[in-house]
Amino acid sequence: MADEAYKGQVAAFEARIARGEKIEPGDWMPDAYRKQLIRMISQHAHSEVVGMLPEGVWITRAPNLRRKMVLLAKVQDEAGHGQYLYHAAETLGVGRDEMIAALLDGRAKYASVFNYPTLGWADVAAIGWLVDGAAIMNQTMLAHCSYGPYSRAMVRICAEEGFHKKQGQEMIIRYAAGTATQRAMAQEAIDRWWWPALMMFGPHDSASSNTPQLVRWGIKTKTNDQLRQEFIDDMVPALQTLGLSVPDPEMRYDAATGHWAGREIDWDEFWRVIQGDGPMNASRLDARRQAHEDGRWVREAAAAYGEKQPGSGSAGEQGRKESLLPPCAPAPLHPSESTT
Amino acid sequence: MNDQWPRYEVFKQERDGGPFRNVGSVHAPDAEMALLNARDVFARRPACRCLWVVPAAAIVATPIVVNAAGDAEPDDVSGPLEPYAVCGKSSERQAMTYVDYLGRVEARSAAEALRAAPALGAARIWWVFPERVISRSDPEDAPGLEAATGKLFRMSNQYHTVVTMQKIRRGDEGEE
Repeated sequence: MADEAYKGQVAAFEARIARGEKIEPGDWMPDAYRKQLIRMISQHAHSEVVGMLPEGVWITRAPNLRRKMVLLAKVQDEAGHGQYLYHAAETLGVGRDEMIAALLDGRAKYASVFNYPTLGWADVAAIGWLVDGAAIMNQTMLAHCSYGPYSRAMVRICAEEGFHKKQGQEMIIRYAAGTATQRAMAQEAIDRWWWPALMMFGPHDSASSNTPQLVRWGIKTKTNDQLRQEFIDDMVPALQTLGLSVPDPEMRYDAATGHWAGREIDWDEFWRVIQGDGPMNASRLDARRQAHEDGRWVREAAAAYGEKQPGSGSAGEQGRKESLLPPCAPAPLHPSESTT
Repeated sequence: MNDQWPRYEVFKQERDGGPFRNVGSVHAPDAEMALLNARDVFARRPACRCLWVVPAAAIVATPIVVNAAGDAEPDDVSGPLEPYAVCGKSSERQAMTYVDYLGRVEARSAAEALRAAPALGAARIWWVFPERVISRSDPEDAPGLEAATGKLFRMSNQYHTVVTMQKIRRGDEGEE
């Protein structure tokens, strides 16, 4: 009987998604949908936060004031995007403190691309065009996803990422038309970031066990390999137009398929970096832990100040909390799920 | 590490006369800090005229989550008659399903406000909360909220990369 009721709930839920409706916090959802979203959104939030680090080290070495202001604004955006996304994950019943603890103690995953070092100024340009460009493809898809808070966060993030991509592309265009040294600097940066950018789209479809369910539930509308192919088809001709190349001697246009195709990604490297063994994994986590510790006195001061404010109880309102349901309470688990 | 503070939902009005739209949330020890955090996170673009913060614990959401005891309604505790804010979506479909402040109803409880809310007309009513719990940015804060519109280099339409690439493809001069 309970199973029949559960199947009915799932059918109604999937029918809503098929009609193009957004699922909102508090709506009934299968526990697996909630878990997949928490996994994806929290990883995405961590990626934004860790993503400040590779470029942040270049702020003090920007070549002029305009580039410095642009880079400052971009890094500030990444911090804001992390906040948007932690919020979206919280609506599913997970705490921000839990997510940050998971990042700081190394349990959480984030985009492996940020575990590579930025060795020159043009890396800032290449990250903007390639890495933010790849992120936009993924995020444009997610802006259409079935979960309302994630979708809305993505709409805002995509609008801001457009600036990130274009400021990087603008630099590569200029350096490609510049002196031999500038062209070499741009090419070296493209060579460094091409493969990590391709890896951003995630594992090969055959190794992505989550994808079929994510597509079925309208969280993803394209597979990792579909998005990766769109990126390659977009980037290779653009770089060639500028007299630059991708670091893949086998990259060819296949007239039969209408697509560019090159070597296979080094999946051993992909999984190694995901598992924590990339060039910068330890450094990135150390930097996050240090930032968290350095901010402790600010949090303590703000908490002490807050406690002194009249009427500023733990929830900022008086005595009503007990009588109201939280807006984002997770739906009760189906009995068959809660035991596993 | 229990230092995350209460959550406040943030509403932003981009321009005079525009809707107050839910843009996300912040954590803060009090409403004043919540407004400051909301400015840092949500006023960066594209524009911001006014911010509201609302303690999340004061918000009642719909559809009402069925609790373990099977109760489908929030506790219908009756208080004084007062204005309740009603928020909802104008459409259930498509990517741009924003949640806006729709207006107010007079009610003695959140449950009563939820029953009265459909009169405001929306595809979906989402939240109600007493209007007295809203903390609003001060008109004096306006200069601090203009960060987005004052820094054009943060806007993607200030970069003409698409046209530049087209020119280079045609063999024209590459520089803008």
